[in-house]
Amino acid sequence: MNAIEAVSLTKTFGDVKSVDGATFQVEESEVFGFLGSNGAGKSTTMMILTTLLKPTSGRARVAGYDVVEKPSRVREKIGYVQQESAIDEYLTGRENMMLQARLSHVEKGTANRRIDELLETTGLAERQHDPTVTYSGGMKKRLDIACGLLHRPSVLFLDEPTVGLDIQTRRRIWEHVRQIHREYHMTVFVSTHYMEEADMLCDRVCIIDEGSIKVVDRPGAMKERLGREMIHMDVGEDAARLAEGITGMAGTESVETTRDGRVTARVHGGAAMIPEIFGIAAGLSVQIRSVSTTKPTMDDVFISYTGHQIRDHPGGEPRKKRRR
Amino acid sequence: MVVTALSDTYSIFWREMKRYSKSKSGVFIRLIQPAVWIVVIGNTFTETRPLIQAAGFDGEYIEFMAAGVIVLTAIFTSIFGGVNTLWDRRYGFMNKALASPISRSSLALGKMLAISTVSALQTSLIIGIALAIGVRFADYLMIIPMMAVVVLFSLGFSGISVTVAAIAKSQETFWGVINFMGIPLFMISPALFPLELLPGWLADLAKLNPATYTILLVREMMTGVQSGVPAEISLGILAAFVGGIVVVASWTFRRDVNRPF
Repeated sequence: MNAIEAVSLTKTFGDVKSVDGATFQVEESEVFGFLGSNGAGKSTTMMILTTLLKPTSGRARVAGYDVVEKPSRVREKIGYVQQESAIDEYLTGRENMMLQARLSHVEKGTANRRIDELLETTGLAERQHDPTVTYSGGMKKRLDIACGLLHRPSVLFLDEPTVGLDIQTRRRIWEHVRQIHREYHMTVFVSTHYMEEADMLCDRVCIIDEGSIKVVDRPGAMKERLGREMIHMDVGEDAARLAEGITGMAGTESVETTRDGRVTARVHGGAAMIPEIFGIAAGLSVQIRSVSTTKPTMDDVFISYTGHQIRDHPGGEPRKKRRR
Repeated sequence: MVVTALSDTYSIFWREMKRYSKSKSGVFIRLIQPAVWIVVIGNTFTETRPLIQAAGFDGEYIEFMAAGVIVLTAIFTSIFGGVNTLWDRRYGFMNKALASPISRSSLALGKMLAISTVSALQTSLIIGIALAIGVRFADYLMIIPMMAVVVLFSLGFSGISVTVAAIAKSQETFWGVINFMGIPLFMISPALFPLELLPGWLADLAKLNPATYTILLVREMMTGVQSGVPAEISLGILAAFVGGIVVVASWTFRRDVNRPF
Protein backbone atom coordinates (compact mmCIF):
# COMPACT_ATOMS: atom_id res chain seq x y z
CA MET A 1 0.00 0.00 0.00
CA ASN A 2 1.21 3.50 -0.79
CA ALA A 3 1.39 5.95 2.07
CA ILE A 4 -0.09 8.72 -0.06
CA GLU A 5 -2.04 8.49 -3.28
CA ALA A 6 -3.19 11.65 -4.99
CA VAL A 7 -5.28 11.41 -8.14
CA SER A 8 -6.01 14.53 -10.23
CA LEU A 9 -6.04 16.68 -7.14
CA THR A 10 -7.29 20.17 -7.98
CA LYS A 11 -7.94 23.18 -5.80
CA THR A 12 -9.17 26.50 -7.10
CA PHE A 13 -9.59 29.73 -5.18
CA GLY A 14 -11.85 31.98 -7.20
CA ASP A 15 -10.36 31.71 -10.69
CA VAL A 16 -6.86 30.87 -9.47
CA LYS A 17 -5.92 27.22 -9.86
CA SER A 18 -3.62 26.65 -6.94
CA VAL A 19 -3.28 22.91 -7.52
CA ASP A 20 -4.03 21.64 -11.00
CA GLY A 21 -4.63 17.92 -11.47
CA ALA A 22 -1.80 16.70 -9.26
CA THR A 23 -1.31 12.93 -9.42
CA PHE A 24 1.46 11.21 -7.47
CA GLN A 25 2.15 8.34 -5.10
CA VAL A 26 4.33 8.29 -2.05
CA GLU A 27 5.66 4.92 -1.03
CA GLU A 28 5.62 3.71 2.50
CA SER A 29 8.66 4.67 4.62
CA GLU A 30 10.24 6.92 2.03
CA VAL A 31 11.30 10.52 2.43
CA PHE A 32 9.39 12.27 -0.31
CA GLY A 33 10.33 15.81 -1.28
CA PHE A 34 7.83 18.25 -2.71
CA LEU A 35 9.92 20.85 -4.49
CA GLY A 36 8.60 24.09 -5.92
CA SER A 37 8.73 27.88 -5.75
CA ASN A 38 6.64 29.85 -3.31
CA GLY A 39 3.13 29.85 -4.69
CA ALA A 40 3.64 26.66 -6.71
CA GLY A 41 0.90 24.90 -4.73
CA LYS A 42 2.98 23.03 -2.15
CA SER A 43 1.23 24.29 0.96
CA THR A 44 -2.21 23.93 -0.58
CA THR A 45 -1.50 20.33 -1.54
CA MET A 46 -0.24 19.64 1.94
CA MET A 47 -3.30 21.24 3.49
CA ILE A 48 -5.51 18.96 1.40
CA LEU A 49 -3.51 15.91 2.43
CA THR A 50 -3.72 16.89 6.10
CA THR A 51 -7.54 17.39 5.84
CA LEU A 52 -7.32 21.15 6.42
CA LEU A 53 -8.70 21.98 2.99
CA LYS A 54 -11.14 20.14 0.79
CA PRO A 55 -10.04 19.59 -2.81
CA THR A 56 -12.19 21.18 -5.52
CA SER A 57 -11.90 17.90 -7.40
CA GLY A 58 -9.81 14.78 -7.43
CA ARG A 59 -9.10 12.31 -4.66
CA ALA A 60 -6.39 11.68 -2.13
CA ARG A 61 -5.75 8.81 0.24
CA VAL A 62 -3.35 9.14 3.14
CA ALA A 63 -2.34 6.09 5.19
CA GLY A 64 -5.11 4.17 3.46
CA TYR A 65 -7.95 6.60 4.16
CA ASP A 66 -9.66 9.07 1.88
CA VAL A 67 -9.01 12.62 3.11
CA VAL A 68 -12.53 13.81 2.34
CA GLU A 69 -14.51 10.76 3.41
CA LYS A 70 -12.53 9.70 6.48
CA PRO A 71 -10.76 12.85 7.68
CA SER A 72 -10.71 11.80 11.32
CA ARG A 73 -9.02 8.49 10.44
CA VAL A 74 -6.41 10.39 8.47
CA ARG A 75 -5.80 12.76 11.39
CA GLU A 76 -5.05 9.85 13.69
CA LYS A 77 -2.38 8.64 11.30
CA ILE A 78 -0.54 11.84 10.44
CA GLY A 79 1.83 14.26 12.07
CA TYR A 80 1.78 17.79 10.68
CA VAL A 81 4.55 20.30 11.23
CA GLN A 82 3.61 23.66 9.79
CA GLN A 83 5.87 26.14 8.12
CA GLU A 84 5.41 28.72 10.85
CA SER A 85 5.98 27.49 14.33
CA ALA A 86 2.70 26.62 16.03
CA ILE A 87 4.24 26.55 19.47
CA ASP A 88 2.60 28.31 22.39
CA GLU A 89 5.33 30.70 23.39
CA TYR A 90 4.12 31.16 26.94
CA LEU A 91 4.20 27.45 27.63
CA THR A 92 7.38 25.51 28.35
CA GLY A 93 8.74 23.00 25.88
CA ARG A 94 7.35 20.14 27.91
CA GLU A 95 3.94 21.78 28.30
CA ASN A 96 3.79 22.27 24.54
CA MET A 97 4.46 18.59 24.01
CA MET A 98 1.86 17.62 26.59
CA LEU A 99 -0.64 19.84 24.80
CA GLN A 100 0.13 18.13 21.51
CA ALA A 101 -0.21 14.72 23.16
CA ARG A 102 -3.66 15.72 24.36
CA LEU A 103 -4.65 16.99 20.90
CA SER A 104 -3.47 13.68 19.43
CA HIS A 105 -5.24 11.56 22.06
CA VAL A 106 -2.09 10.00 23.47
CA GLU A 107 -2.75 8.54 26.91
CA LYS A 108 -0.92 10.39 29.69
CA GLY A 109 1.52 7.69 30.82
CA THR A 110 2.54 6.91 27.25
CA ALA A 111 2.76 10.62 26.53
CA ASN A 112 5.15 11.25 29.41
CA ARG A 113 7.38 8.37 28.35
CA ARG A 114 7.50 9.54 24.73
CA ILE A 115 8.03 13.15 25.73
CA ASP A 116 11.10 12.13 27.77
CA GLU A 117 12.38 10.11 24.86
CA LEU A 118 11.77 12.80 22.23
CA LEU A 119 13.21 15.58 24.38
CA GLU A 120 16.33 13.45 24.60
CA THR A 121 16.55 12.85 20.82
CA THR A 122 15.91 16.50 20.02
CA GLY A 123 18.47 17.66 22.58
CA LEU A 124 15.86 19.81 24.32
CA ALA A 125 15.76 17.87 27.59
CA GLU A 126 17.76 20.45 29.51
CA ARG A 127 15.58 23.33 28.41
CA GLN A 128 12.26 21.50 28.70
CA HIS A 129 11.02 23.62 31.63
CA ASP A 130 11.89 26.96 30.06
CA PRO A 131 9.18 28.97 28.32
CA THR A 132 9.57 28.46 24.59
CA VAL A 133 9.70 32.21 24.04
CA THR A 134 13.37 31.87 25.11
CA TYR A 135 14.13 29.18 22.48
CA SER A 136 16.12 29.84 19.31
CA GLY A 137 14.54 29.32 15.88
CA GLY A 138 16.21 25.94 15.49
CA MET A 139 15.08 24.77 18.92
CA LYS A 140 11.50 25.78 18.18
CA LYS A 141 11.61 23.85 14.93
CA ARG A 142 12.96 20.75 16.66
CA LEU A 143 10.23 21.07 19.26
CA ASP A 144 7.63 21.45 16.50
CA ILE A 145 8.92 18.29 14.84
CA ALA A 146 9.04 16.41 18.15
CA CYS A 147 5.40 17.40 18.72
CA GLY A 148 4.50 15.89 15.36
CA LEU A 149 5.96 12.54 16.43
CA LEU A 150 4.19 12.04 19.74
CA HIS A 151 1.43 9.79 18.45
CA ARG A 152 3.84 7.81 16.26
CA PRO A 153 2.26 8.91 12.98
CA SER A 154 2.67 6.69 9.96
CA VAL A 155 3.01 9.76 7.73
CA LEU A 156 4.85 12.87 8.89
CA PHE A 157 4.18 16.09 6.96
CA LEU A 158 6.87 18.76 7.16
CA ASP A 159 5.94 22.02 5.49
CA GLU A 160 9.17 23.85 4.61
CA PRO A 161 10.85 22.76 7.83
CA THR A 162 13.99 24.86 7.39
CA VAL A 163 12.65 28.06 5.89
CA GLY A 164 14.16 31.09 7.58
CA LEU A 165 16.87 29.14 9.40
CA ASP A 166 20.58 29.65 8.88
CA ILE A 167 22.55 27.02 7.01
CA GLN A 168 24.07 25.30 10.08
CA THR A 169 20.69 25.06 11.74
CA ARG A 170 19.21 23.83 8.49
CA ARG A 171 21.76 21.01 8.34
CA ARG A 172 21.04 20.06 11.93
CA ILE A 173 17.34 19.83 11.14
CA TRP A 174 18.07 17.55 8.15
CA GLU A 175 20.26 15.38 10.35
CA HIS A 176 17.48 15.29 12.87
CA VAL A 177 14.85 14.36 10.29
CA ARG A 178 17.10 11.58 8.97
CA GLN A 179 17.63 10.30 12.46
CA ILE A 180 13.94 10.13 13.32
CA HIS A 181 13.28 8.53 9.97
CA ARG A 182 15.86 5.83 10.74
CA GLU A 183 14.36 5.28 14.17
CA TYR A 184 10.65 5.30 13.41
CA HIS A 185 10.53 4.37 9.70
CA MET A 186 7.51 6.53 9.03
CA THR A 187 6.82 8.08 5.65
CA VAL A 188 8.06 11.66 5.51
CA PHE A 189 6.45 14.12 3.13
CA VAL A 190 8.54 17.27 3.11
CA SER A 191 7.90 20.39 1.06
CA THR A 192 10.76 22.72 0.33
CA HIS A 193 12.05 25.29 -2.06
CA TYR A 194 15.67 24.55 -1.20
CA MET A 195 17.28 22.45 -3.93
CA GLU A 196 19.96 21.23 -1.60
CA GLU A 197 17.39 20.04 0.87
CA ALA A 198 15.50 18.06 -1.74
CA ASP A 199 18.77 16.60 -2.98
CA MET A 200 20.29 15.62 0.35
CA LEU A 201 17.25 14.62 2.36
CA CYS A 202 14.85 12.93 0.01
CA ASP A 203 14.61 9.46 -1.49
CA ARG A 204 12.38 10.81 -4.22
CA VAL A 205 11.53 14.32 -5.26
CA CYS A 206 8.44 15.67 -6.93
CA ILE A 207 8.77 18.98 -8.77
CA ILE A 208 5.61 21.05 -8.76
CA ASP A 209 5.24 24.25 -10.73
CA GLU A 210 2.17 26.45 -11.07
CA GLY A 211 0.05 23.78 -9.46
CA SER A 212 1.00 20.88 -11.68
CA ILE A 213 3.41 18.02 -11.18
CA LYS A 214 6.37 18.13 -13.56
CA VAL A 215 8.28 15.01 -12.56
CA VAL A 216 8.66 12.50 -9.74
CA ASP A 217 11.93 10.63 -9.41
CA ARG A 218 15.08 10.02 -7.37
CA PRO A 219 17.24 13.17 -7.31
CA GLY A 220 20.20 11.15 -8.64
CA ALA A 221 18.20 9.83 -11.57
CA MET A 222 16.94 13.29 -12.45
CA LYS A 223 20.45 14.63 -12.55
CA GLU A 224 21.75 11.68 -14.56
CA ARG A 225 19.07 12.23 -17.11
CA LEU A 226 20.50 15.67 -17.78
CA GLY A 227 23.81 14.05 -18.73
CA ARG A 228 26.60 13.27 -16.36
CA GLU A 229 28.57 16.45 -16.76
CA MET A 230 28.39 19.82 -18.37
CA ILE A 231 31.31 21.42 -20.17
CA HIS A 232 31.12 25.20 -20.26
CA MET A 233 33.22 27.05 -22.81
CA ASP A 234 33.74 30.73 -23.31
CA VAL A 235 34.07 31.12 -27.08
CA GLY A 236 32.90 34.52 -28.23
CA GLU A 237 31.38 35.21 -31.61
CA ASP A 238 32.19 31.79 -33.03
CA ALA A 239 30.08 30.06 -30.38
CA ALA A 240 27.42 28.94 -32.84
CA ARG A 241 29.97 27.40 -35.19
CA LEU A 242 31.63 25.47 -32.40
CA ALA A 243 28.26 24.31 -31.10
CA GLU A 244 27.41 23.02 -34.54
CA GLY A 245 30.76 21.28 -34.73
CA ILE A 246 30.43 19.37 -31.47
CA THR A 247 26.75 18.52 -31.84
CA GLY A 248 26.58 14.88 -32.79
CA MET A 249 29.98 14.10 -31.30
CA ALA A 250 29.84 10.70 -29.58
CA GLY A 251 28.79 11.03 -25.92
CA THR A 252 27.20 14.44 -26.35
CA GLU A 253 23.64 14.77 -25.21
CA SER A 254 22.89 18.38 -26.03
CA VAL A 255 24.68 21.59 -26.82
CA GLU A 256 23.43 25.03 -25.99
CA THR A 257 24.79 28.46 -26.78
CA THR A 258 24.13 31.76 -25.10
CA ARG A 259 24.06 35.16 -26.71
CA ASP A 260 27.19 36.25 -24.91
CA GLY A 261 29.20 33.54 -26.64
CA ARG A 262 29.18 30.68 -24.20
CA VAL A 263 28.67 27.07 -25.18
CA THR A 264 27.42 24.43 -22.75
CA ALA A 265 27.64 20.78 -23.76
CA ARG A 266 25.94 18.07 -21.73
CA VAL A 267 28.16 15.07 -22.11
CA HIS A 268 28.61 11.56 -20.80
CA GLY A 269 32.39 11.35 -21.07
CA GLY A 270 33.19 14.09 -18.57
CA ALA A 271 36.39 16.10 -18.66
CA ALA A 272 38.00 13.40 -20.83
CA MET A 273 36.06 14.89 -23.74
CA ILE A 274 37.74 18.26 -23.52
CA PRO A 275 40.75 17.35 -25.73
CA GLU A 276 38.41 16.08 -28.41
CA ILE A 277 36.45 19.32 -28.29
CA PHE A 278 39.64 21.31 -28.61
CA GLY A 279 40.48 19.18 -31.63
CA ILE A 280 37.18 20.07 -33.28
CA ALA A 281 37.69 23.73 -32.36
CA ALA A 282 41.14 23.72 -33.94
CA GLY A 283 39.68 22.15 -37.10
CA LEU A 284 37.12 24.97 -37.27
CA SER A 285 39.80 27.48 -36.27
CA VAL A 286 37.63 28.58 -33.36
CA GLN A 287 39.41 29.77 -30.29
CA ILE A 288 38.19 28.60 -26.87
CA ARG A 289 39.10 31.18 -24.22
CA SER A 290 38.31 29.15 -21.14
CA VAL A 291 36.71 25.88 -20.20
CA SER A 292 35.18 24.41 -17.05
CA THR A 293 33.12 21.38 -16.15
CA THR A 294 30.28 21.02 -13.68
CA LYS A 295 28.06 18.20 -12.62
CA PRO A 296 24.34 18.84 -13.00
CA THR A 297 22.75 20.07 -9.79
CA MET A 298 19.16 20.06 -8.66
CA ASP A 299 19.05 23.64 -9.89
CA ASP A 300 19.72 22.41 -13.42
CA VAL A 301 17.10 19.72 -12.96
CA PHE A 302 14.59 22.26 -11.74
CA ILE A 303 15.28 24.64 -14.62
CA SER A 304 15.02 21.87 -17.16
CA TYR A 305 11.57 20.85 -15.92
CA THR A 306 10.06 24.24 -15.16
CA GLY A 307 11.87 26.51 -17.59
CA HIS A 308 12.83 28.92 -14.81
CA GLN A 309 14.93 29.14 -11.69
CA ILE A 310 13.35 28.65 -8.33
CA ARG A 311 12.00 32.01 -7.30
CA ASP A 312 9.14 33.72 -5.66
CA HIS A 313 6.05 33.23 -7.70
CA PRO A 314 4.66 36.53 -8.96
CA GLY A 315 1.26 35.58 -7.56
CA GLY A 316 2.71 35.30 -4.06
CA GLU A 317 1.89 32.67 -1.49
CA PRO A 318 -1.20 30.59 -2.12
CA ARG A 319 -2.38 31.54 1.35
CA LYS A 320 -2.62 35.13 0.23
CA LYS A 321 -4.47 34.17 -2.91
CA ARG A 322 -7.14 32.62 -0.76
CA ARG A 323 -8.19 36.00 0.51
CA ARG A 324 -10.12 36.69 -2.69
CA MET B 1 -17.69 9.57 22.17
CA VAL B 2 -18.95 11.70 25.06
CA VAL B 3 -15.90 10.85 27.17
CA THR B 4 -13.57 11.84 24.33
CA ALA B 5 -15.44 15.08 23.75
CA LEU B 6 -15.23 15.92 27.45
CA SER B 7 -11.56 15.11 27.65
CA ASP B 8 -10.89 17.11 24.46
CA THR B 9 -12.80 20.06 25.92
CA TYR B 10 -10.68 19.79 29.04
CA SER B 11 -7.49 19.70 26.93
CA ILE B 12 -8.36 22.99 25.27
CA PHE B 13 -9.52 24.45 28.58
CA TRP B 14 -6.18 23.40 30.10
CA ARG B 15 -4.24 25.09 27.33
CA GLU B 16 -6.20 28.32 27.51
CA MET B 17 -5.88 28.48 31.30
CA LYS B 18 -2.12 27.85 31.05
CA ARG B 19 -1.83 30.73 28.63
CA TYR B 20 -3.98 32.92 30.86
CA SER B 21 -2.01 32.11 33.99
CA LYS B 22 1.18 33.21 32.26
CA SER B 23 -0.11 36.65 31.33
CA LYS B 24 -0.87 38.02 34.76
CA SER B 25 -0.59 41.69 33.87
CA GLY B 26 -3.83 41.37 31.89
CA VAL B 27 -5.74 40.58 35.08
CA PHE B 28 -5.11 44.03 36.52
CA ILE B 29 -5.51 45.89 33.25
CA ARG B 30 -8.93 44.36 32.76
CA LEU B 31 -9.83 45.31 36.32
CA ILE B 32 -9.26 49.03 35.86
CA GLN B 33 -12.36 49.83 33.84
CA PRO B 34 -14.96 48.17 36.09
CA ALA B 35 -13.16 49.55 39.15
CA VAL B 36 -13.48 53.05 37.75
CA TRP B 37 -17.17 52.49 37.06
CA ILE B 38 -18.01 51.31 40.53
CA VAL B 39 -15.91 53.92 42.34
CA VAL B 40 -16.71 56.94 40.16
CA ILE B 41 -20.25 56.33 38.88
CA GLY B 42 -21.25 54.55 42.10
CA ASN B 43 -20.41 57.68 44.08
CA THR B 44 -21.41 60.28 41.48
CA PHE B 45 -25.06 59.20 41.43
CA THR B 46 -25.49 58.81 45.20
CA GLU B 47 -28.20 61.48 45.14
CA THR B 48 -30.40 59.44 42.79
CA ARG B 49 -31.36 57.23 45.74
CA PRO B 50 -34.96 58.61 45.97
CA LEU B 51 -35.45 57.79 42.28
CA ILE B 52 -34.43 54.18 42.57
CA GLN B 53 -36.37 53.91 45.83
CA ALA B 54 -39.43 55.02 43.95
CA ALA B 55 -38.80 52.18 41.52
CA GLY B 56 -38.83 49.73 44.41
CA PHE B 57 -35.17 49.42 45.40
CA ASP B 58 -34.58 50.21 49.03
CA GLY B 59 -30.85 50.78 49.43
CA GLU B 60 -27.83 52.87 48.47
CA TYR B 61 -27.26 53.66 44.79
CA ILE B 62 -23.82 52.03 44.86
CA GLU B 63 -25.41 48.80 46.10
CA PHE B 64 -27.87 49.00 43.24
CA MET B 65 -25.27 49.55 40.55
CA ALA B 66 -22.68 47.07 41.93
CA ALA B 67 -24.60 44.24 40.25
CA GLY B 68 -24.40 46.18 36.99
CA VAL B 69 -20.62 46.53 37.29
CA ILE B 70 -20.23 42.84 38.10
CA VAL B 71 -22.06 42.00 34.88
CA LEU B 72 -20.08 44.70 33.04
CA THR B 73 -16.91 42.86 34.06
CA ALA B 74 -18.36 39.61 32.78
CA ILE B 75 -19.51 41.24 29.50
CA PHE B 76 -16.12 42.67 28.68
CA THR B 77 -14.05 39.71 29.80
CA SER B 78 -16.11 37.34 27.73
CA ILE B 79 -16.63 39.33 24.54
CA PHE B 80 -12.92 40.13 24.31
CA GLY B 81 -12.01 36.55 25.24
CA GLY B 82 -12.31 35.38 21.65
CA VAL B 83 -9.25 37.33 20.61
CA ASN B 84 -7.11 34.27 21.37
CA THR B 85 -9.01 32.42 18.66
CA LEU B 86 -8.04 35.16 16.23
CA TRP B 87 -4.34 34.67 17.10
CA ASP B 88 -4.77 30.90 16.91
CA ARG B 89 -5.92 31.23 13.32
CA ARG B 90 -3.00 33.46 12.48
CA TYR B 91 -0.23 31.68 14.37
CA GLY B 92 -0.93 28.10 13.44
CA PHE B 93 -2.51 26.64 16.55
CA MET B 94 -5.86 26.33 14.79
CA ASN B 95 -4.36 24.37 11.89
CA LYS B 96 -2.39 22.22 14.28
CA ALA B 97 -5.51 21.41 16.28
CA LEU B 98 -7.63 20.82 13.17
CA ALA B 99 -5.09 18.39 11.71
CA SER B 100 -5.23 16.37 14.92
CA PRO B 101 -8.03 14.01 15.95
CA ILE B 102 -9.42 16.33 18.64
CA SER B 103 -13.16 17.00 18.37
CA ARG B 104 -14.12 20.25 16.65
CA SER B 105 -16.83 21.32 19.06
CA SER B 106 -14.46 20.78 21.97
CA LEU B 107 -12.26 23.43 20.53
CA ALA B 108 -15.08 25.96 20.88
CA LEU B 109 -16.35 24.65 24.21
CA GLY B 110 -12.91 24.45 25.84
CA LYS B 111 -12.20 28.04 24.89
CA MET B 112 -15.63 29.19 26.12
CA LEU B 113 -15.20 27.43 29.45
CA ALA B 114 -11.77 28.94 29.93
CA ILE B 115 -13.01 32.45 29.14
CA SER B 116 -15.93 31.97 31.54
CA THR B 117 -13.58 30.83 34.28
CA VAL B 118 -11.44 33.89 33.73
CA SER B 119 -14.61 35.98 33.77
CA ALA B 120 -15.56 34.48 37.15
CA LEU B 121 -12.08 35.26 38.49
CA GLN B 122 -12.25 38.84 37.28
CA THR B 123 -15.73 39.21 38.71
CA SER B 124 -14.65 37.93 42.10
CA LEU B 125 -11.93 40.59 42.15
CA ILE B 126 -14.56 43.23 41.43
CA ILE B 127 -16.70 41.84 44.22
CA GLY B 128 -13.65 42.25 46.44
CA ILE B 129 -13.35 45.91 45.43
CA ALA B 130 -17.07 46.42 45.99
CA LEU B 131 -16.80 44.97 49.50
CA ALA B 132 -13.75 47.11 50.19
CA ILE B 133 -15.61 50.33 49.37
CA GLY B 134 -18.51 49.42 51.59
CA VAL B 135 -21.03 47.50 49.46
CA ARG B 136 -22.78 44.92 51.62
CA PHE B 137 -24.47 41.65 50.65
CA ALA B 138 -27.78 40.55 52.12
CA ASP B 139 -26.44 36.98 52.38
CA TYR B 140 -22.80 36.19 51.64
CA LEU B 141 -23.63 32.59 50.77
CA MET B 142 -25.43 33.94 47.71
CA ILE B 143 -22.02 34.68 46.18
CA ILE B 144 -21.87 31.03 45.11
CA PRO B 145 -25.04 30.92 42.96
CA MET B 146 -24.17 34.43 41.79
CA MET B 147 -20.87 33.20 40.41
CA ALA B 148 -22.72 30.34 38.73
CA VAL B 149 -24.95 32.89 36.98
CA VAL B 150 -21.88 34.91 35.96
CA VAL B 151 -20.24 31.79 34.49
CA LEU B 152 -23.42 30.86 32.63
CA PHE B 153 -23.77 34.36 31.20
CA SER B 154 -20.07 34.47 30.25
CA LEU B 155 -20.40 31.16 28.42
CA GLY B 156 -22.96 32.81 26.18
CA PHE B 157 -20.95 35.89 25.33
CA SER B 158 -17.63 34.09 25.08
CA GLY B 159 -19.44 31.80 22.62
CA ILE B 160 -20.38 34.81 20.51
CA SER B 161 -16.82 36.09 20.75
CA VAL B 162 -15.07 32.86 19.70
CA THR B 163 -17.59 32.36 16.91
CA VAL B 164 -16.98 35.85 15.53
CA ALA B 165 -13.21 35.35 15.91
CA ALA B 166 -13.40 32.01 14.12
CA ILE B 167 -15.20 33.31 11.05
CA ALA B 168 -14.15 36.99 10.87
CA LYS B 169 -12.54 37.79 7.53
CA SER B 170 -10.17 40.24 9.14
CA GLN B 171 -9.04 41.42 12.54
CA GLU B 172 -10.96 44.63 11.96
CA THR B 173 -14.20 42.70 11.55
CA PHE B 174 -13.66 41.10 14.92
CA TRP B 175 -12.85 44.34 16.72
CA GLY B 176 -15.70 46.12 14.98
CA VAL B 177 -18.29 43.56 16.01
CA ILE B 178 -16.97 43.27 19.55
CA ASN B 179 -16.80 47.02 20.15
CA PHE B 180 -20.23 47.43 18.66
CA MET B 181 -21.63 44.92 21.18
CA GLY B 182 -19.88 45.90 24.40
CA ILE B 183 -21.20 49.29 25.46
CA PRO B 184 -24.81 48.86 24.18
CA LEU B 185 -25.08 45.54 26.06
CA PHE B 186 -24.17 47.40 29.22
CA MET B 187 -26.12 50.62 28.57
CA ILE B 188 -29.35 49.10 27.30
CA SER B 189 -29.95 47.24 30.53
CA PRO B 190 -30.87 47.93 34.14
CA ALA B 191 -27.16 48.10 35.02
CA LEU B 192 -27.17 51.75 36.14
CA PHE B 193 -30.87 52.51 36.56
CA PRO B 194 -33.99 50.36 37.05
CA LEU B 195 -35.92 49.46 33.92
CA GLU B 196 -38.87 51.33 35.43
CA LEU B 197 -36.94 54.60 35.06
CA LEU B 198 -35.97 54.04 31.44
CA PRO B 199 -38.13 55.42 28.59
CA GLY B 200 -40.58 52.78 27.39
CA TRP B 201 -38.84 51.99 24.09
CA LEU B 202 -35.48 51.66 25.81
CA ALA B 203 -36.92 49.38 28.46
CA ASP B 204 -38.45 47.24 25.71
CA LEU B 205 -35.10 47.06 23.96
CA ALA B 206 -33.41 46.15 27.24
CA LYS B 207 -35.79 43.20 27.58
CA LEU B 208 -34.16 41.69 24.47
CA ASN B 209 -30.76 41.88 26.12
CA PRO B 210 -29.58 38.73 27.95
CA ALA B 211 -27.45 40.98 30.16
CA THR B 212 -30.67 42.48 31.55
CA TYR B 213 -31.78 39.17 33.07
CA THR B 214 -28.31 38.47 34.38
CA ILE B 215 -28.19 41.84 36.12
CA LEU B 216 -31.63 41.30 37.63
CA LEU B 217 -30.59 37.88 38.92
CA VAL B 218 -27.28 39.09 40.33
CA ARG B 219 -28.89 42.13 41.94
CA GLU B 220 -31.57 40.04 43.57
CA MET B 221 -28.97 37.66 44.98
CA MET B 222 -26.74 40.48 46.22
CA THR B 223 -29.37 42.67 47.83
CA GLY B 224 -32.21 40.29 48.55
CA VAL B 225 -34.61 42.80 46.90
CA GLN B 226 -37.02 41.17 44.43
CA SER B 227 -36.82 42.51 40.90
CA GLY B 228 -39.74 42.98 38.53
CA VAL B 229 -39.02 39.67 36.76
CA PRO B 230 -39.28 36.35 38.65
CA ALA B 231 -35.89 34.65 39.08
CA GLU B 232 -37.00 31.43 37.35
CA ILE B 233 -37.96 33.36 34.24
CA SER B 234 -34.69 35.29 34.15
CA LEU B 235 -32.75 32.09 34.61
CA GLY B 236 -34.80 30.34 31.94
CA ILE B 237 -34.19 33.10 29.40
CA LEU B 238 -30.48 33.17 30.20
CA ALA B 239 -30.16 29.38 29.92
CA ALA B 240 -32.01 29.32 26.60
CA PHE B 241 -29.73 32.05 25.25
CA VAL B 242 -26.59 30.23 26.36
CA GLY B 243 -27.87 26.90 25.04
CA GLY B 244 -28.47 28.49 21.64
CA ILE B 245 -24.99 30.00 21.56
CA VAL B 246 -23.35 26.69 22.53
CA VAL B 247 -25.07 25.04 19.58
CA VAL B 248 -24.06 27.82 17.17
CA ALA B 249 -20.44 27.89 18.38
CA SER B 250 -20.00 24.09 18.18
CA TRP B 251 -21.56 24.07 14.73
CA THR B 252 -19.30 26.89 13.53
CA PHE B 253 -16.16 25.05 14.63
CA ARG B 254 -17.20 21.99 12.65
CA ARG B 255 -16.90 24.08 9.52
CA ASP B 256 -13.80 25.73 8.04
CA VAL B 257 -12.44 27.89 10.80
CA ASN B 258 -8.87 28.01 9.57
CA ARG B 259 -9.28 30.58 6.83
CA PRO B 260 -6.32 32.90 6.79
CA PHE B 261 -6.92 36.59 7.20
